[in-house]
Amino acid sequence: MAYEFTEEDLQEIEKIKAKYPEVKAATLPVLWVAQNRFGHVEPDVQKLVADTLGLPQAHVHGVASFYTQYYKEKKGEHVLDVCTCLSCQLCGGYDILEHLENKLGIKAGETTEDGKFSIQEVECLGACGYAPMLQVTNDQYVNNLTPEKVDDLIETLKAGKEPEYDQIGMPLRKVK
Amino acid sequence: MPEVFIDGKRYEYEGDHQLLQFILDQGLEVPFFCYHPSMSIPANCRQCMVKVGQPVKDRESGEYELDENGDRVIRWFPKLQTSCNIKVADGMVVHTQETDELVERAQKDTLEFILANHPLDCPICDQAGECPLQIQTYKYGPEGSRFEVKKVHKPKRVQLGPRVILDAERCINCTRCVRFTDEISETHQLTIVSRGDKNYPTTAPGTEFDDNYSLNTVDICPVGALTSADFRFKARVWEMNQTPSIDITNGKGTNIDLWTRDNLVLRITPRFNEDVNDHWMPDEGREAYRVFNENRVSKPAQNLDGEQVKSSWNNALLTLAEKIEEHDGKEVLFVGSPHASVEENYVLMSVANLLGAKNPVFTPHIEEGYGDGFLLTDDQAPNTNGCRALGLDELSAADLKKEITGAKMVVLLNDQLVDRNVVSAKDIETPFTTVFATNHSETSKVADLVIPITTAAEHAASYVNVDNRAQRTVAAKETKYTNRRLDIEMSEGRLDRYGTSFDNWVTEDNKVDCMPFWNFTSQLADRLGLDLSYDTGRDVMNEISEKVPAFKGVSYSEMDANSGIVLEETSDKTVKS
Amino acid sequence: MSSADWKNYERVLIPDIDGLEKIDVYEENGGYSAFKEVLTDKKKWEGPKSVVDEVKAANIRGRGGAGFNAGLKWSFMPPSDGGPRYLACNGDESEPGTFKDRKIFEYNPHLFIEGALIAAYAMEVTAIYVYIRGEYKVYIDMMEKAVQDAYDKGFIGENIMGSDYSVDFYVHSGAGAYICGEETSMLESLEGKRGYPRVKPPFPAQKGLWGRPTTINNIETLAHVPNVINRGADWFSSIGAENHPGPILYGISGHVNRPGVYELPTGIPVLTLINEVAGGMRNGKELKAVIPGGSSTPIVRADQLDGITMDSDSLREVGTMLGTAGMVVMDEDTDMVDMLWRISHFYHHESCGQCTPCRDGTGWLEKILLRIKNGDGEIKDLDLLLDITTQMEGRTICALADAAAWPVRHTITRFRDEFEARCKKSVHAIA
Repeated sequence: MAYEFTEEDLQEIEKIKAKYPEVKAATLPVLWVAQNRFGHVEPDVQKLVADTLGLPQAHVHGVASFYTQYYKEKKGEHVLDVCTCLSCQLCGGYDILEHLENKLGIKAGETTEDGKFSIQEVECLGACGYAPMLQVTNDQYVNNLTPEKVDDLIETLKAGKEPEYDQIGMPLRKVK
Repeated sequence: MPEVFIDGKRYEYEGDHQLLQFILDQGLEVPFFCYHPSMSIPANCRQCMVKVGQPVKDRESGEYELDENGDRVIRWFPKLQTSCNIKVADGMVVHTQETDELVERAQKDTLEFILANHPLDCPICDQAGECPLQIQTYKYGPEGSRFEVKKVHKPKRVQLGPRVILDAERCINCTRCVRFTDEISETHQLTIVSRGDKNYPTTAPGTEFDDNYSLNTVDICPVGALTSADFRFKARVWEMNQTPSIDITNGKGTNIDLWTRDNLVLRITPRFNEDVNDHWMPDEGREAYRVFNENRVSKPAQNLDGEQVKSSWNNALLTLAEKIEEHDGKEVLFVGSPHASVEENYVLMSVANLLGAKNPVFTPHIEEGYGDGFLLTDDQAPNTNGCRALGLDELSAADLKKEITGAKMVVLLNDQLVDRNVVSAKDIETPFTTVFATNHSETSKVADLVIPITTAAEHAASYVNVDNRAQRTVAAKETKYTNRRLDIEMSEGRLDRYGTSFDNWVTEDNKVDCMPFWNFTSQLADRLGLDLSYDTGRDVMNEISEKVPAFKGVSYSEMDANSGIVLEETSDKTVKS
Repeated sequence: MSSADWKNYERVLIPDIDGLEKIDVYEENGGYSAFKEVLTDKKKWEGPKSVVDEVKAANIRGRGGAGFNAGLKWSFMPPSDGGPRYLACNGDESEPGTFKDRKIFEYNPHLFIEGALIAAYAMEVTAIYVYIRGEYKVYIDMMEKAVQDAYDKGFIGENIMGSDYSVDFYVHSGAGAYICGEETSMLESLEGKRGYPRVKPPFPAQKGLWGRPTTINNIETLAHVPNVINRGADWFSSIGAENHPGPILYGISGHVNRPGVYELPTGIPVLTLINEVAGGMRNGKELKAVIPGGSSTPIVRADQLDGITMDSDSLREVGTMLGTAGMVVMDEDTDMVDMLWRISHFYHHESCGQCTPCRDGTGWLEKILLRIKNGDGEIKDLDLLLDITTQMEGRTICALADAAAWPVRHTITRFRDEFEARCKKSVHAIA
């Protein structure tokens, strides 16, 4: 499949390039632009990024493979990144993962047959105080998970809605 | 002069030195994998650990502080240091594995880690025998393994490109290959992918590692992760002889080693020469081993009634002598060759002169735009400047064609003029043409007489490269008439010494029935009553250096001692005789 | 500060002001006045060096984990040669147990921006990059907006507030790699490469981003700077622990009733943080152990914690460190073998793979721990684990190998009986 950036993407890429003295620095942000556009950075997309930036394909491939958030293969529509690292482990992250796996009938690393959901077991996402938690498709965090909350999330996503930003205050900070 | 103390011994130094390189330069050893003198220093293998300290100086007096025994007080680095990336400093004290148990332990520890995920398949690995990992494990590694869990599995037998095959499990992630394509060949075709112990080098998906210099990565790979698709599984390193030589596939004069077993050249690798090719060579130069092994002219051949038939050496000699005697010297055209050595061209010139023939001519073999500014050159021949320095008459291809078609008799030194479209087969067929050839070609096919001569792999001879550097080869494989036990310059490997005809690899089959051009010519001269006789290329060069001003001071021993000699420009190129 | 006083502490990093993340509210509450002062009040601030000196005197010890005096770090920058110089702000926050800088992005982004601008001015920096971990997409968006607002108000850009100082400010997103929190790895990542830590020397102050002088500071570290300028170095260094002063963001997670991020002075007793600030142990369980400052800091047993406070000197007494002050609290039911295996899994997953001891050591550690966790380990494996940690520590380019080794060494040493109980009786033990 031939991938192409839109005019809008190309404008954004020009803006990105202007932020750095060397074009190579645009590799990570432009991979993001590509992933946001195509939903993944499969080899053909990596090639597009390399060609657009005038960088060696091998360089872009090496970079894409180093960073876990880039999807080097097609994923489901919603990618559920369940944290099981230290604090989440202590607070039941594995139970949440298991619940989710059972609910969707797939294991971590797999995608449902209808292409709706992928589950990934991920490392610390920096929400340790709100464990267990998961992140939806590199975007919103869903915190303090319980099996019920996971079920609700799945329903929300199935209904075509995205979870809203879950603002968490600071316990002793006295503001409205 | 600044000083440094390594294992208690004092060394003086000048200039800037990386510690590891300095240690190696002193003939000492510290094990390493990722460091390469011609590339950037990532210090990632962590093998070259040493203990380093600096003497403490009194701030006010600037004098070294001394302890109660009168020895300098040393402030040691809190951690062991990788010697590859620290600079030698005045007064520095270094303890290597030879004198420090902690260093010895650290090196052993690192080797244990490297071996943890290494497949340990030395018995089926091409690198065995010349493997830095294997060698250093024997010298500095742990006795056994404590790694009882599952090794990481990675892709094996991956054809990275037409010439290089990857076994990612053997890879120790030194990144030499990636740095090579980034810093030396600058094709940026390789990258390390993934992360942690899943790391390995590869190309971008769907692309090929077809870099013109790709096989250098096989040379510098410190393990058997990258192997040559061509050489793979052909021979064990310890079965081969290694002979220094010069690349004859272009004008650069890349220094190489020929690796032979049973008188076949099995592979060619670059040999370090700072002034010519550093540690590198182009892939196509490595293909030249086929020229030495395959399609060789073995035994003279003569055209009888339109058909080339094998002839005895005696018959060939008599035929050529008769033909020369039949013609007036002026009717014989001697054609030299940029593909032949200085010695061969000189001998051709001497015969021509003695016969009163015209000075030999030659035409360069240039392909415009072929060169890359690195080790590939437009010049497709190894000795164009040698022909010029000797004083052969340089002609354009068209002029040479004219000369040949106008001649009654042509003596052509190893140059495939028909194949490279200087002349047509018909042009050669008209005069009586004698071709001195190493290999069969469209040119030798139409000659009246074909005399087989030795290749650069079978004789010691000199070549002058595009930068006017004279360098020489050493005989690596035997002909029917040479014997490595008698020629002290030829290397003699284990198989040569101890092999018998009952071994797999010791046969007579691969000795070509050919002889050096100067030997055949000496016999011819004797027959013709000319005063010309040479035994070896060395004899020829001794005469050249006396008679040809451009070669003044050039001798085999000087070339050997200086990795070649740059000829001085001289206006007087004629032979003093 | 006595343990009782913590309730009266007045927050300065993230004060109790509604809507402070908005630039107008921030300005109404004195925001950007410190930056304005150092730029324009030439009597009080004679030049960049005077700012460096003040910050050095405050002794803001880096809040990213290494705890190095920020002002001192700034002073390592060579004199300007007129070429580009950079400040790289480290918002990669990925060490398990650490989730504090996101609070600054969310609730007081302009304090950090102002601090970065002051730092940039003090070091004569020409461009600021803030590197935020890619998972923090929400906070990256917030920061992009905050930076744009500051540009619009003229706090960033050409000739700021009429001075001759100009600087640019860019937000850069990571893409999932813990190692990019290591400062030189972050520079590689900013340059668009695989996040491999660089060999030092040269240090970033000499050759950093694109080979130019660069300083890297943690987000919280920079957020302290405006307060130091406004209130003085003495004010800062009088707060909290003597050798590790100032306000600090504690991230408390694990088995406590009220996990979260708390701004308090350094030097609060660990047990006060757990039992009072964080509302005590969940479900009335007993405290078993604490990891004080992110997963790499050595674990401490509950019985070691009496009188131990959250600052480097006190924590050193029990062989651990303040790290990022991201405290992980474990109750009596915690399985130390499982917990340690999960930490080792993390470091194995996150090792960049550059250096041999880390690349192959982290995997080996995890695999042995998994074997023990599954009941297939032997007692000798415990000693092997300790041996491996010794072989890894101090042998690599960056500190990830150390970070992976310390938890293994200390958890086994401090809870050896639990590990031994999980091992099968060794067949080799029979005489």
